[in-house]
Amino acid sequence: MIGLRGSGRETRAEHAQEGSGTKAWIGWPSFLLPAALLILFASWLPAIAAGERLHFALAWIPSLGVNLSFLVDGLSLTFALLITGTGAVVALYSGTYLAGHPHFARFYLYLGLFMVAMLGLVLADDLITLFVFWELTTVASYLLIGFDHASAKARRSALQALLLTGAGGLALLAGLILLATAAGSFELSEILASGDAVREHGLYLPILVLVLLGAFTKSAQVPFHFWLPNAMAAPTPVSAYLHSATMVKAGIYLMARMHPVLSGTDAWIWTLTIAGATTAVLASVIALRQTDLKLALAYTTVMALGTLTMFLGAEATVAIAAAVTFLIVHALYKAALFLIVGILDHQTGTREADQLGGLARAMPISACIAAAAGLSMAGFPPFLGFIGKELKYEGALAIASEPLLVATAAVLANALMVALAGIVALRPFLGNRRQTPRAPREAPIRLWIGPAFLAALGLSFGVAPALIADTLVQPAVTAILGRPETVKLALWHGINIPLLLSALTLALGLAIYARHRRLRAALAGLESRLPTTADQAWDGLLDGLRSLAAAQTRLLQSGVLRRYLLLTFATLALAVGTTLFAVDAVRLPRLWPELLVKEWAALGLVSAGALLAATTQSRLTAICALGVVGVGVALLFLMFGAPDVAITQLLVETLFVVLVAVVMLRLPRLQPDHGSARGGRLRDAGVAVLVGAVVTLVLLAVVDGPIDRSVTAYFEQASVPEAFGRNIVNVILVDFRALDTFGEIAVVAVAALAALALIRGGGLRRARS
Amino acid sequence: MPAEIGFLSMAAPEIFMACAAMLLLMGGVFLGERSARLITWLSVATLLMAALLVLSVAPGESRLVLLSDLFVTDSFGVFMKVLVLAASAVTLIMSLGFNEREQIARFEYPILVVLATLGMMMMISANDLIALYMGLELQSLALYVVAAFHRDSLRSTEAGLKYFVLGALSSGMLLYGCSLIYGFLGTTNFSDIAAVFAGEADVTPSVGLVVGLVFLMVGLAFKVSAFPFHMWTPDVYEGAPTPVTAFFAAAPKLAAVALLLRVLIGPFQGLAGEWQQVVVALSIGSMLLAAFAAINQTNIKRLMAYSGIGHIGYALVGLAAANEAGVRAVLIYMAIYLVMVIGTFCCILCMRNGGRMVEGIDDLKGLAKTSPGMALVLAIFMFSMAGIPPLAGFFGKLYVFLAALNAGLYALAIIGVLASVVAAFYYVRIVKVMYFDEPVGSFDRPVGREMVAVQTVTGLMILLFFLWPGPLLAAAEAAVRALFAA
Repeated sequence: MIGLRGSGRETRAEHAQEGSGTKAWIGWPSFLLPAALLILFASWLPAIAAGERLHFALAWIPSLGVNLSFLVDGLSLTFALLITGTGAVVALYSGTYLAGHPHFARFYLYLGLFMVAMLGLVLADDLITLFVFWELTTVASYLLIGFDHASAKARRSALQALLLTGAGGLALLAGLILLATAAGSFELSEILASGDAVREHGLYLPILVLVLLGAFTKSAQVPFHFWLPNAMAAPTPVSAYLHSATMVKAGIYLMARMHPVLSGTDAWIWTLTIAGATTAVLASVIALRQTDLKLALAYTTVMALGTLTMFLGAEATVAIAAAVTFLIVHALYKAALFLIVGILDHQTGTREADQLGGLARAMPISACIAAAAGLSMAGFPPFLGFIGKELKYEGALAIASEPLLVATAAVLANALMVALAGIVALRPFLGNRRQTPRAPREAPIRLWIGPAFLAALGLSFGVAPALIADTLVQPAVTAILGRPETVKLALWHGINIPLLLSALTLALGLAIYARHRRLRAALAGLESRLPTTADQAWDGLLDGLRSLAAAQTRLLQSGVLRRYLLLTFATLALAVGTTLFAVDAVRLPRLWPELLVKEWAALGLVSAGALLAATTQSRLTAICALGVVGVGVALLFLMFGAPDVAITQLLVETLFVVLVAVVMLRLPRLQPDHGSARGGRLRDAGVAVLVGAVVTLVLLAVVDGPIDRSVTAYFEQASVPEAFGRNIVNVILVDFRALDTFGEIAVVAVAALAALALIRGGGLRRARS
Repeated sequence: MPAEIGFLSMAAPEIFMACAAMLLLMGGVFLGERSARLITWLSVATLLMAALLVLSVAPGESRLVLLSDLFVTDSFGVFMKVLVLAASAVTLIMSLGFNEREQIARFEYPILVVLATLGMMMMISANDLIALYMGLELQSLALYVVAAFHRDSLRSTEAGLKYFVLGALSSGMLLYGCSLIYGFLGTTNFSDIAAVFAGEADVTPSVGLVVGLVFLMVGLAFKVSAFPFHMWTPDVYEGAPTPVTAFFAAAPKLAAVALLLRVLIGPFQGLAGEWQQVVVALSIGSMLLAAFAAINQTNIKRLMAYSGIGHIGYALVGLAAANEAGVRAVLIYMAIYLVMVIGTFCCILCMRNGGRMVEGIDDLKGLAKTSPGMALVLAIFMFSMAGIPPLAGFFGKLYVFLAALNAGLYALAIIGVLASVVAAFYYVRIVKVMYFDEPVGSFDRPVGREMVAVQTVTGLMILLFFLWPGPLLAAAEAAVRALFAA
């Protein structure tokens, strides 16, 4: 995987005047707005805890029944609180972290855009509204990842994230529309009530696949996980906010939201469990391999997302409760740790694991915060992380279908998490002091107050889990399962299997931590021997796309007119030919008709003329040969009793040959076509024969069916009494359609006049020059 | 007959335009080459006046057939004509500065545009195969000339010639199809053709009729530049002078789609089972081709050609549904497309570096720094074309996909979504180039008041469509009802 050494550093102007940069005041409203929203949402907690559901609506596209409507229940409120809470912390932090950056104001604009989009996403009650906000978060994330636009890596990562999550988003759109079709409504509140109808609908599987594609790409599940570590090119506050606490959880939110509608089938259970378990274990192994602390945290985020997905696959109440609790736990400690890594980077100039050590003396406050967050991550009592971990094990064992798989995956992932907590939160502060690019100094209060707040929450919720059990976890679980549930959280459950598993996890984790350097080297060796990584596969995909585009351009868009004509005729012949065969309209004459010698002669004349026209190298010969074809056709008309048509044909043919010959004489000589080789000529001949054959088939089929004779009958009847003529063609020309004929003559005359003017004008110009 | 005169007044916009075009031509000849600017503004006034006339003679809910059943006016016609006239007028205004700078400002250009637009209006109002062909040829002949309007440019001449040869070929196919249809049904009138199918519920059409319909559709597919009859589009778009390309991408495309709807929904609704398959094939081909072919393009005009092919593919998704919801989606899609494409070309026309036009996508590098306003507007159009909400383009796509899904065309809708994923790739790449790449040079300022006005208005329309989608939806609804009432 790609190491992004210190790329976050360049975003910040070196040695900027901290806190007093340009437009520093922007930070304050950006902090106050989410803080105010946080208080507003918190004020709804009692009502939601009492089991209420709040609903706001506004008509938007009435003709489609699409409304701008919002739904607040336990699940959406939990997310809204996380978004505004971490949003406020990150806004406060960024004010100092990015102070003096030339695009400081733009940063807050993007951040605000993202926060609004994310809130809209979790609060939306209407599928289309939800999707609109979903895509807006993608766009905001694109802008924030590419914020450091001087770096090519940041640009590539931004584009990669946008394309991958955007593609998933479009799949989601198709899924949501299908879902609305199946449930008969765009309103989530109505769809949630019609779970059985959707599950039994014929479109259930496509809906599930499309919705999960959207959720998996957004929430970085294997094999779509690679964009998230690359997204660490964004400034650290962005990584803390979007790519660990909120946006990547949008996929989790979606799966939780759709739980009452889509869950319970084998497809749901197995897909989520296997994808989640694979993601969790694989990501924590890769995380161990990283030396960049931020990147290691990114992979632990992927691990957390995998764990959440795995538990959402289940039906058991305790599994869902584990998911919700872990969601809160993770948001609290992960955002805090990201911000701490940002502080380390900011104060020492590096975030490489090997260059950091013994900073506890220089940065005591940061060390305490890191320790608190790290202990929560590792799942030590009395932190909330411990409760989360216990619940996870309980939930894993409660999953009826595959408890062993889930429990094994959970233990493995958590053991690795313990080791990583040690690497990220403890090692930089303990041990020997190492040389860093900048002399370490404790961070200003505005930097550490946010993470301190988050870490403190992790501790207090752990000590007093009742604070969130009834108000947040229980309503959220109720919303996810679609039925009233009671959830109790407690630190001490007595000695049981989860506790034993916890002990096993700690032992395993400490063992891994002790050997993590050797493991890291081994993993790095393994990685270099892998044939390809997902990231390289992505590049391969894009390259393939480009060469496909180039190949089709060479084939179809050569810029040569003859090639276009060839393709057009070939398509037409194939399309019409296939249609003829498909409707079973191919009629071959059963017997060869008895042809007379004169008919054979005319046929030979036409064929010889056509062959000559196709093979000759001289324009004049070709025109004359075409004239011969025309004469042959006129002869045929004559033989089948239509002398008037034959004469017309002969006249037109003669006129045509003369006119074209006059024009051709002015053109340069035809160059023999050396460019197209024998194969090209053969191909052209093939297409020509094909077109001819298809037209013949059409003709035979047409002749086979009844032709509408009403027009013929009318003229047969009317030509003598009304126009006193027996030659129907003549009568039409000079009598029934006399005015048309007159118009045509006028047109020809005007055209001739114009041609004369052109020719004379050309002559005059030549005379003048 | 007073009744006939009263009827004729329903064709007042077309009659007015024909007379005005001839008067303008005479005026131009008498005033000489320097009158180009005056004639252009008079042509714009003619187009706007015609639009007012169209609205003032709008027949409301009713549907009137006149001129021996050759010409029909209804809400559908009003909807399409207003859009076509507006598109022609705006692209004509956009051409002013360009033509003067490139020294190809001639008075014939606006008059040819007026004549082409007249042809389009005849196409939209056609109620007969012959009337259809008349309108189509009037339009096409003017367009062939306009494509080669920059006579001293090799590329422009080549574009005109290619367009002419392939266009003539398509006209031939269309006529061949018309003659087969006439031969098997004994009529060229749309109302009579519709009556043939209305009589029998489960009619098995004769092979000749189906083949005729296929040829007719091939001819029309050329005009809307749907795959595999799109080959002329990139070459002509690149070769023609940019204002001409802008015009090509807007009004004629819309008129051709209108004609396609008029023909398929009007007389041949009874054959929906037959033409639906053709439309699905055209649609899938166009969407996929455009998505993959556009990736490697370096010239923005060429890119827009492929983008246009793709958009036609999406519009055809709606048509494939062959019901009212589907056609309504097509109308909404095309109206939004029109605004996006005009706005985009307005930006392309402002890409001037040191007095010289540039067309490379690389020339847009760092536009966000050098001209932030234009970069923002172009970014809005690109995101909208990629179908990213809440911009108008998203709603266009939403409507067509909804219609296709409701009609049970799941495969088509899913291929459409996949194609738009790939398409998003190249639209977003332009945004990336503008916002994240380092500038290589800046474009000449000022770009002209009319350009800024067009960019601002179209940009706001796309950006704020979601706030007030009602009027467009209502107009499209009325148009569709009129079309299906036929």
